[in-house]
Amino acid sequence: MARDLQVTATGEPVGQAKMDLLVGYLLLAGVVLSLALIVVGLTWRVILTGHFSLDYKISGMNLFEFVVLEIRTAISGQLRPRTLIDGGIAVLMLTPYVRVLASMFYFMIALKNWKYTLFTGIVLGVLTFSLFLR
Amino acid sequence: MVPFYLLFPVSILAGFVGAMSGMGGGIILIPALTLLGVDIKHAIAISILSVIATSSGSASAYVRDHITNLKVGMFLEMFTIVGALAGAAVTLVSSPRPLYIAFGCVLLGSWLALLIVGHDTWHSGEQDSVSRWLELEGSYHDVAHGGVIEYRARRAYFGAPLMFGAGMIAGLLGIGAGAVKVLIHDLVMGLPPKVSTTTSNLIIGVTALAGTSVYLVHGMIDPGLAAPVVVGVVAGAFLGTRVLVRISNQSVRKFFLIILIALALEMIFRGIRG
Repeated sequence: MARDLQVTATGEPVGQAKMDLLVGYLLLAGVVLSLALIVVGLTWRVILTGHFSLDYKISGMNLFEFVVLEIRTAISGQLRPRTLIDGGIAVLMLTPYVRVLASMFYFMIALKNWKYTLFTGIVLGVLTFSLFLR
Repeated sequence: MVPFYLLFPVSILAGFVGAMSGMGGGIILIPALTLLGVDIKHAIAISILSVIATSSGSASAYVRDHITNLKVGMFLEMFTIVGALAGAAVTLVSSPRPLYIAFGCVLLGSWLALLIVGHDTWHSGEQDSVSRWLELEGSYHDVAHGGVIEYRARRAYFGAPLMFGAGMIAGLLGIGAGAVKVLIHDLVMGLPPKVSTTTSNLIIGVTALAGTSVYLVHGMIDPGLAAPVVVGVVAGAFLGTRVLVRISNQSVRKFFLIILIALALEMIFRGIRG
């Protein structure tokens, strides 16, 4: 069973253990990036306005519309604290999504485990549907 | 508008307890936010967003330590995310009082079940053919125990539909519903406590995302609340994760029991009083 053999003689992780690392670092990177954006955005806002309170809503957008809007705002040169904070929230929401996407490819390409490629694909499909909800 | 100096420390505490227990930060965060004057539905929406952060932050460490079982996680996520979508849809149309009472009842149920099994220590059992076909097994290195523990999950055919229910509770109440997931893993599927808490943590992230997507599109994610809450919750979760790997299973359980009963009574009381 490949899972029991977690490292080679040289200490390199293989198979499932390698996937653990991939998933672990993806989650870490997503959370760190998201937090960094939010913290910089909040700090910037405090410097600009002198207070922490932040009163606005994201109204009636699904995640993909939200991401497109934020990218468009950033590109048009209107970068403001709000863009960073919203970007942080979007990155946070995309973190588990990307984790599932990466897992699916790992099950498919590296482990050639079709059963779990299918299961992960189903999870990805339902998530994609939910993120496109209106 | 809730002041930052209250919101931020409360979020740190919620993240710490959530990560240590595998319950997710929401169980502390929602009662606290409502006490600070936030409407319960908005508290639920912010909480479930922050749960993505708690779960991902602490799961990243557990997964790299090879304690989390990714296959068990992936398999059960198929059921929890559909449940979460349904649950969030119900919350949008519900009035606040049933939400308080439901929140309290979930906490109380978790507490009772945990009290009954609290004295059992985990032992390995026979695996059925369905769980074997699903490849639900693994091993991990236990720091407190000082050795490699091998295990085979069982009764996946009961675990899966129950996880739909756990996902529904998560979406409905904005919590990770980790206590419920841990119970299903422990009692039904026979996973060792550390595998069940850490795998539950992984599942919670994806389940919370499904719930969050419903709240986002209905304009219930308020960045002014969400930003400080998410930062605080992750900071707390980071600390909580460091503690879990070092303490024994029994200490984790005792800690759960005290927190769960206090919050359960508080929420039910508020729901009845209106």
